[in-house]
Amino acid sequence: MEKPSLLPLLDARLPLSEEKVAEATRLAGVPLAQAWGVVRYYPRYRGLPQGRLLVDDPVARARGFARLLEEADGTHPPLGLEALSPIHVRVEGEKRYVEWEGRLIPFKEFRLPFALGHGNRLLPPEPILELAQYEALGGLVFLRRALKNLLAPEAILRAVEEAGLLGRGGAAFPAHIKMRAVARGEPPRYLVVNADESEPGNFKDRFLLEHHPFLVLEGTLLAALAIGASRVFLYVRDELEAAMLGLEKAIAELQEAGLLPVPTEVFRSGGLYICGEETALLESMEGKRAEPRLKPPFPVEKGLWGRPTLVQNVETLANLPLILREGPGTWREKEPKLFSITGDVARPGLYELPLGTSLEDALRKAEGEPEALKAVLLGGAAGVFTRDFAFPLRYKGRLPLGAGAIVAFGKEVDLWEVLLGLAEFFREESCGKCFPCPLGTAVQVEMVRRRERNRDLVHHLGQALKGSLCGLGQSAYWAYQSLLEVEGAA
Amino acid sequence: MRLKVNGHEAEVQEGTLLLEITDPPHLCYHPHAETRGLCRLCLVEVDGRLLPACTTQAQEGMEVRTDTEDLRILRRTLLEWLALTTDLSQAPSLLELLKAHQGRPQRWGSVSLSRREREPIRDNPFFLRDYAKCVNCRRCVDACGDGIMGVYALTLEGKGLMAHPTTPLDRPLPETPCVFCGNCVQVCPTGALRPLSMEV
Repeated sequence: MEKPSLLPLLDARLPLSEEKVAEATRLAGVPLAQAWGVVRYYPRYRGLPQGRLLVDDPVARARGFARLLEEADGTHPPLGLEALSPIHVRVEGEKRYVEWEGRLIPFKEFRLPFALGHGNRLLPPEPILELAQYEALGGLVFLRRALKNLLAPEAILRAVEEAGLLGRGGAAFPAHIKMRAVARGEPPRYLVVNADESEPGNFKDRFLLEHHPFLVLEGTLLAALAIGASRVFLYVRDELEAAMLGLEKAIAELQEAGLLPVPTEVFRSGGLYICGEETALLESMEGKRAEPRLKPPFPVEKGLWGRPTLVQNVETLANLPLILREGPGTWREKEPKLFSITGDVARPGLYELPLGTSLEDALRKAEGEPEALKAVLLGGAAGVFTRDFAFPLRYKGRLPLGAGAIVAFGKEVDLWEVLLGLAEFFREESCGKCFPCPLGTAVQVEMVRRRERNRDLVHHLGQALKGSLCGLGQSAYWAYQSLLEVEGAA
Repeated sequence: MRLKVNGHEAEVQEGTLLLEITDPPHLCYHPHAETRGLCRLCLVEVDGRLLPACTTQAQEGMEVRTDTEDLRILRRTLLEWLALTTDLSQAPSLLELLKAHQGRPQRWGSVSLSRREREPIRDNPFFLRDYAKCVNCRRCVDACGDGIMGVYALTLEGKGLMAHPTTPLDRPLPETPCVFCGNCVQVCPTGALRPLSMEV
């Protein structure tokens, strides 16, 4: 049964002491052992690194990382700021700031510059932070219809199915299959929006949450009605404080307007990359260490608190109002996808492009020149280096799209330094539950550091990591293997 | 029901675990604990997918392979990595497995993260907590909590390779709910928890 979740109870008591941990533990009704495992797991309970921190993303790694590091007290994991990288954050106690344009901007006020967005269907012409503004631009039509019983749950499910919408979080699983499976389950059923975007190079969900919360919420509520969810949780990455405040304000506005058919709340994530893995995410919501579960059972059968749960990515849900407005057929003809394009391009930013656009065309949109590039990192840390600029960016192709990150590296960039950043990222973010991932990611760092090119050894590393429990370990060697391929082809 | 194991037809009862009818190496699985699917040593190929034999039930028409080249590489590599980072001197069966798989841990070079440097903890009169030898299989944590005892005197500290069992608030065991039942010592596969009576 549902109990008060441990994480918000601990958050309300930061900074922690033994007494405060004990108090949160009593209120959550869990053994102290469980609470201590949690306190010794998540960074904000262990104690955040303090001072001026360099955001250690793939772009910073390509910009003279060692020199940049000399001017910082330490590093911070990638933060969806790749378009502004290299960039620093400052942490003082629980307070966190982005260093931007010579100022310190608190996380709760910092949004990605709106000018980074380029699109027209998923991205708004201006930031839309008021309900009236969203409605004036054609929003809420389908949510209102659904609330007047003029749009049946089955009609929503059918539209998603006819559109063939694939999950935008990286796994590209058909959205309608998950939605129908949850809709078939016994109530109570839950919807959890996975807004824990942490894949290096990606900032599409961050941008949507910060500048277009009503689109995300309309899609979310349409999905909630379609599956008959009795509660909705938006699981938002810990650092996205402005997005969380914006969502809370938008939820309140919807409620006031009588447009919130399902209780909806924001849940602050555990603050680790692994929290984006859907079962680890659910574990953290239940007040445990965010570690992936063995599957089956899948969340659609046994999810949050053992109930049928739809876990769906932000961008996936943001497409629902669009599919209904345009009609699944029209939507599908030019399927919109958000690509975060950064690195050695003249206009880094977020680009809405039709699926199937070639990598070359995508780069040129951002004023990048393929001929001037050594390689592109496609998909993020769980991605691949490639020089196949003719590759059409679509799912189930030869290369993984991931969530749509494209980081371009010029001829001067030392790709091994970029790879070392990814390898260290995986080692730091491995949860340690299964054996191959924590062992393999630690070994991989040493191999990359000494620029190991022994094919057998790299092959064996991959074979062992492939046996990991979840996608983190299973994909942790892709970039390494692909770099050797890119080198071989050069 | 019928299935194929390494090309041979087999007839088994519904619900049988693949681990009961095949013989891959395994480490985290213990019949009295609920830990499973963690060490990945018992992975087998089922219709082309990698699945732990300790969590997968036999199904009609399954094709199971337990000894492919890829699986041998995976097991050998995992065993080598364990030996590279962990003191296996009290785990003779793992050392034998490593030998049987022609394991050569040194081919991976050195790893700066290592469990080997951890000091043993002597905080009670009955057994030693020697986490230099711990592979983090979690059997002890499970036996103490949900699996057998339900006293919850053990939990986990940290994450990644350096995650290991600890006590609530990192207190010495006598200051925890521990009842010194010895179940954790019984289920430890690597001698990380071992009776002090064995120490000379």
